[in-house]
Parts: sequence; structure tokens; C-alpha cells
Amino acid sequence: MNWKKVSIFGVLVMGFLVPPLIWDLGTSVLNLLSMLFIYIILAQSWNLMGGYTGQINLGLAAFFGCGTLVTHFIWKAGVPFYLAMAAGGVAAMVLAVIIGLPTLRLKGMYFGIGTFALAEVCRIVVGGTFHRMLKMPSSYVASYSLISRYYVAFVVAALAVVVVYRVTHSKLGLGMVAVRDDETAAQVTGVNTFKCKVLALFISALLAGLAGGVFAYLRLSFHFIHMMFSPVWTFEPLMATIIGGAGTLAGPIIGSVFLVILSEIFALKLGEAHLIVFGFLFVLVVMYFPQGLVGSLDRIRPWFRRSWSRRAAREGQGKP
Amino acid sequence: MEIVFQTMANGLLVGALYGLVALGFALLMGVMKFLNTAHGTFIILGGYLSYWLLELWGIDPFLSLPLVVMAMFLIGIVFYKLALSPLLKLPNIGMRINSSMLITFGSIWVLDNTMTVLWTPDVRSIMTSYTGQTLKLLGVRFSLTGLGGVGVAILVALVLYFILSGTYFGKHIRAATQDVVAASLCGINVQRTYLFSCGIAIALAGVAGMVVVSSYSISSTAGIGWLSSAFVVMVLAGEGNINAIIPAGMVLGLIESAGLLVMGVSYRQAIALIVFIIVLMIKPQGLFAKKEYGS
Repeated sequence: MNWKKVSIFGVLVMGFLVPPLIWDLGTSVLNLLSMLFIYIILAQSWNLMGGYTGQINLGLAAFFGCGTLVTHFIWKAGVPFYLAMAAGGVAAMVLAVIIGLPTLRLKGMYFGIGTFALAEVCRIVVGGTFHRMLKMPSSYVASYSLISRYYVAFVVAALAVVVVYRVTHSKLGLGMVAVRDDETAAQVTGVNTFKCKVLALFISALLAGLAGGVFAYLRLSFHFIHMMFSPVWTFEPLMATIIGGAGTLAGPIIGSVFLVILSEIFALKLGEAHLIVFGFLFVLVVMYFPQGLVGSLDRIRPWFRRSWSRRAAREGQGKP
Repeated sequence: MEIVFQTMANGLLVGALYGLVALGFALLMGVMKFLNTAHGTFIILGGYLSYWLLELWGIDPFLSLPLVVMAMFLIGIVFYKLALSPLLKLPNIGMRINSSMLITFGSIWVLDNTMTVLWTPDVRSIMTSYTGQTLKLLGVRFSLTGLGGVGVAILVALVLYFILSGTYFGKHIRAATQDVVAASLCGINVQRTYLFSCGIAIALAGVAGMVVVSSYSISSTAGIGWLSSAFVVMVLAGEGNINAIIPAGMVLGLIESAGLLVMGVSYRQAIALIVFIIVLMIKPQGLFAKKEYGS
């Protein structure tokens, strides 16, 4: 990690840590930012599996919902929140073992359809099992403070970004990218492709489970618990990653900011119909800008640099 | 004992429907390597078409089948032109599968929410004079609409088998599957072959939608549930093994109804997932896979 990146990261961290201590940002802004952080965690989780390893996960909602549900129940049982959140992450990993071990041994579409079926089954089975509304006891509601939610969400999001950075800049990360680019070639050169894919899935599921834990901390009651497994929770992080740029560290963050701004604009005006706009946008990006916003910036940057250097050269010539 | 036979009979009826649901999906995936996650949504669209044909013009769902097939064929051709044909430029099959998965996943949101906006999220089903009537065979009751569904499923599967194995068009499809370059060197118009097969696949989704709306019910977001059944059936039959799709659907239906007797209704979907995982662990090439000539 070079100093330029560390300082950018540090400035961003301070920019989110300090202002809430000085000013009162108001409920809606804090809520929006907390949701943004949850989207960033989920998008990074999807990015690790879909962007770096090339395994399309169509059931992120299963891991997210599992994290939410487990955290909620363990926290309600009186365990401190941080342990409950960790348990939620581990539970999501267990769920990942169930679907990952059989499907990741095979190439092609099996992982995608397996995770999709897993999320759908979770949604229906949970919807059939929990009929009543889930909520925390009133003592928890009385001590609710949004600012602590904000900080927890922020810390987990920063942690997710650091984890994805460390993983992708390790030997495992190189193996993951090799699997994405050409699985057969990676196998031939001695990469243990199955191990790479399974480890990536574990980390990805852990992050998604933690995002679920943060969500359980943010929302104390759930009217329809099966909505935690709704495919929207897969689609929106996926869309954030693809629009921002899959397989890059900054892509999911930029994409999440973009998504949250877009939903602020469209969801209020259009209601249900805003997902039509999102769907169109998503399909267009997959077809015409598969590198996303970050990739497009990279394509534009050399052009700028050339014009800058030309101007610098011209100014240099004018000088005596 | 009677309840066991009755549940098994229902399992067979549901299973034939599962097979019909998976047929078009397996055609696109097994033959052309496009993973169409919007298949369930097209099933619901076909269901709405036959629902509105009955409501507005009073055409019986089983008689409206040709109309639904034609309309869905055209929709499939438009869908192929807009969403899938750009993917043929991608360098390898893996990228084609992944990109088609993403593009059709995005299409689900466009189509689902368009249907919600146009026709409200209400659950709809068709009531005809014979809905709910049963036929007693060998001491077991079969619902008439369910039997009609089985008939349609078997008819459609036979027609598809005939098209794929008995016509020049089917030969073109199979040749393009084996080797695109060699097929086009032999004078096969691969683009047109793909276009028509995609139309056929979406038309099959329309047929399945008609059967779904006549024996069950549809709502604008129910497509995803049917899609996961289609996944499981395709894995049971084996990728690319289209002739085994209807038997595989019946096997899944029987296993599910056996599970229903033991576990209860709310875990019905979980049984399908368990079957899916076990098949992938033990025999990933599918239960009905034939030995390949090469190996």
C-alpha cells in the first residue's frame, strides 16, 4: 500500500468520522449514510466473488438475510451486539459451505444458479416459518441511538474495503484473478482453483453476513422477515458493483454512492417503477460499458494526460 | 394408503409442469449457452397473455395456445435481437454464460416491474367451467386442468424432439452448437438459427405460462420461483439433454410430493434445493446423462 493511497484512505476516514461529532447531521442524513455503508459492504462482498474471481453470485440476499436473522435472534437472547454480529457472519459462511462446495467444483453456470436457488428457497422457507413481526424488546428501543449505528456501519465498511484490498493484493488474490481470466490455464499452471474459489466465497459470505448484522442493528423490527431474502438485496449491490466497475477496489464504492443518489431521486418519484429504470441502466452498462465508471475513467485519463503534456510543452517552448 | 397414491398422482401432474417450465430454459442453455434467468418472468408474461385473452375476448386458455405461442415467439425474437445477440461477439463460452446471466437478471427487473405497473401485483387465476373438476382413474383423482397440462407438456416435448432430430432446422441448431465456425463454413446461417431457437424457447415459456395460469395462479413477481424449479430440473436432466427434461421434471415432482408427506408443505422448496445439491455432489452430469461416444 503506497503512501498516496494510504493518505487518500485516511482523509476519507476522517471525513466520515469527524463531522457527526461536531455537527448534528439529522436523522435522514445519518440513515442514508448508514444504508450507503451497508451497500458498500455488500457490493465489496459481491465484487470479491464476481469481480475478482469471476463467479457470478445471484444469491447474495441469502447470505445477507442469514446474517440479519442470526444477529437479530442472538442479540435478542442477551449476547453483546458485537458477538452477535460475528455469529451472523459465521452463519452466512456456513450457508456458503452448503452451496459452495457442490457448485464450485464445476465450471460454468452452476454457482450462479445454485446461489439463486438458495436465496429463493431461504425466502420461501423463512416466509413460511415466521409469520409474526420480529422486534427487539423495548429496553433496546429506548436506548437506540442512530449515531452509534452510523459508526458501526462505517467501521465495518472500512474494514470490508481493507479486507478486499489485502486479499486481492496477496497470493490468493492473484490466484482468484487467474481463475477469472482463464480457469483451465490457471489449473495447468498449478493454481488450486477450487481452493481459491472457496476461500473467496468464504470471505465474501462473511462480509455479506456482517452487512446483515449491521442492518439488524440499524433496524430493530422487521415486519416481513422474508423480505430480507428478497432478490432486491442481490440486485442492488450487484448493480452498484457493475456500474462502478467490477474487479476494482474503488468501483463498488463509487457505484454504491451512485446507486444511493439514484434511488433518492427515483424511488420517491416513481415508487415501484424505479426498478424498471435501474434494470434498463444495469443492462445497458453490462452490454456497453462492462468496465463500469472506473474503467471509463481509465479510458479517458490518457487522453487528458496527453492534452496536459502538450500544453505544458507549448508553455515550455514559449519561455526563453 | 390412498393419500400416498393421491399425493404421488399430484406429484406426477406437478412434475410434468416442472418439465414444461424447464424445457425452453434448457433449450437456450443447453444448446445455445445463453443462461436466461428471465425465463420465469417470460412464463408469467405468457400466463398474463392467456389470462387477458380469456378475460377480454373469452377465449378458452387451451384454445388460445396458438395465439400465445405466436405472440411469445415474436417477443422472443425481439428479446434476442435486443439483449442476447450482442453477446455472440464475446471471445469464449464462459463469458457468454456470465454476461447473459447478468443481462437477463437485469431484464427480470425491467419486465417484473413493468408487469406490476401495468397489471397491479394482484394474484390472478383463471376460472373456466371445468376448473376444479376431477377425473377418477384407478381410485385416484386427477384434476382436469392438471391432466390437460400433462397432455400439453408431452405434446410440446414431442414436437420439440421432432424439430430437433427430424428437420434440417434441428440439424442446423445441433451443428451450430457443436462448432459455430464449422457450421457457418458449411453454409448454415448461424445468426438466423439462433434467432429462431430463441423465439422457440420463449414460446415454450409462453406455453408453460398458459398451463401455470390454468391450474395454479400467477402474480407479477412469481417468475423467480418457477425459474428456480427450472434450474433444478435442468440439473437433474443434465445440461444439454433436452429429451430427458420431462422425465426429470416428473422425478422432481414425485420426490417433492414424497417429501411433502414426510416434512409438510412449508419446506417444499427446500426439498428441491436438497435434490439439486445431492445431484451436483454425486452425479453432476445429470441423472439421465448418456455415455458420450468419445469417452
